[in-house]
Amino acid sequence: MIAGNILLSDILIRRAGRIILNIDNLKINAGDFVSIIGTNGAGKTTFLRLCCGLIKPGRGSIEFDGKDFTQLGTWDKSNVRKHIGYIPQQAEYNPDLPFTLREIVAMGRTSAKPLLKKHNSEDYEIVDNWINKLGLYDLRNQTFRSLSGGEQQKTLIARAMAQQPRVLMLDEPCSNLDFNWKYQITEIIEQLYNMTKVTVLMVSHETNLLPACCHRAVLLHKGNLVADGDIDEIMESETFEQAYGCKFETVILGGRKYTVNKGIK
Amino acid sequence: MNFMLMQLDSYFYPVILAGVIAGASTGLLGAFIIGMRVPFIGTCISHASMAGFIYGGLLAFGNANLWPVTSTLGGVLSSVIAALSLASIREDKTRLDKNVGLAIIFCFMLGITFLGIGLNQESRSDMLGLLWGNILFVNKTRTFVIGCLAVVLILFLLFFNKEMKILLFSRSIAAATGVHESFVYCLFLTLCGVILAINMPLVGGLMIFSLITCPAAAAYQICTGYSSVIITSAFFGMISTLAGFLISFRLNLPTGACIVIVSVLIFVLATLYKNIAKRND
Repeated sequence: MIAGNILLSDILIRRAGRIILNIDNLKINAGDFVSIIGTNGAGKTTFLRLCCGLIKPGRGSIEFDGKDFTQLGTWDKSNVRKHIGYIPQQAEYNPDLPFTLREIVAMGRTSAKPLLKKHNSEDYEIVDNWINKLGLYDLRNQTFRSLSGGEQQKTLIARAMAQQPRVLMLDEPCSNLDFNWKYQITEIIEQLYNMTKVTVLMVSHETNLLPACCHRAVLLHKGNLVADGDIDEIMESETFEQAYGCKFETVILGGRKYTVNKGIK
Repeated sequence: MNFMLMQLDSYFYPVILAGVIAGASTGLLGAFIIGMRVPFIGTCISHASMAGFIYGGLLAFGNANLWPVTSTLGGVLSSVIAALSLASIREDKTRLDKNVGLAIIFCFMLGITFLGIGLNQESRSDMLGLLWGNILFVNKTRTFVIGCLAVVLILFLLFFNKEMKILLFSRSIAAATGVHESFVYCLFLTLCGVILAINMPLVGGLMIFSLITCPAAAAYQICTGYSSVIITSAFFGMISTLAGFLISFRLNLPTGACIVIVSVLIFVLATLYKNIAKRND
């Protein structure tokens, strides 16, 4: 079993007098699949960046496998982050570069090798292995910009997995995708999780589209952690309705629970 | 006129050599600067080096032998400082768009530069030469230094190949996944500062921007794959300076202007080629 615990304690981030994130205590165990839900501006992306140690909190500590990001220097932090696979939202990368799909996936091996060391055949074996596993073989020599949104997302997932991470962080992986691709990407994430048992942190708005293996949710509201626990319980709770300011109803279809939005409260 | 032609002959080879190497290394830098979508970095650094050049020159106190040394050192120093201050602009920490931040530094540098030109009454034409380049700044020493820096740049790109690739694609992915992103980025910007400062007097502070932008933009139009982009960009930079120099010698036109026009023409041709190739597909 590969490690991949994250322990946040006593976190407080303020900016311009406003609380951005306030978390007393949150433990994510190795092998957990946790979804992070909340309204726009609730602090979900900040939460992910905090877990990577990219944001220094005003107070508190972020421990990744027992190493506290707030106590480490820049160089050591990078060495810890090697174990984090990160799939950002589209604004954070440049899709217009004429790089091929295989080159993008190979970028996942960058931090696995120390500075000044080149990728070798072993690295490319891992890269090609993930390209095959995600069914991207036929597209491997196409430029990233010529791919569809769903294919680009798959490429980024392959890139993150080529890193052989302990924790996979996804920031709204299904936004901007059509119905079919939303299901495909969700299915891929579920398969990856079942295959590798990597710890997954997934920010998502599509609560009905979360994979069945996801049982735990963390609900953020205005920077505060307002609920943490079983996802079905959270979505049926009063707190969930209050956070979104909407009325929800749970329906059961084919043995699965779905949340239906009944309009503004 | 005869006198000029004779003089050109003896200058011809080191100038051509220096120009071609400067074009290639600026084209290489451009591939990264344009790929990272921060074209203003080029203008900022080159104007900082221009300011440093002028104030460094003032420190020579009219000593003609000292002038090239102090001015060049001033240029290198101020452009490295500018480059590193650019590295400290982090989008996630400021509410400022990076290009707006760069534009403000650019304005500041431009103001300082012209203030320096104003203070330096005696050799004003020399100073103005810095703006659009002057081949009289080229001598054997500078050619040698330009060559050495090009070698350093190539070595840097070979050794940090995998890091530079991911920096181009996404600095935030690189940072989040444990690539030593800020270290490599600072190193790259420092190298940018030194190379642009040394190359600047040759092409001109205002003109060097086009050598950063046009060859790289043309390469991004027509190439597929990382290596082919950066090699093509360096090649286009070389062609721009070579053709620009030759045209300016033949027709007795300002060198910097010819280089700029050729580099823009290359971009236009690349775009046309791409569109035609697309139509034939």
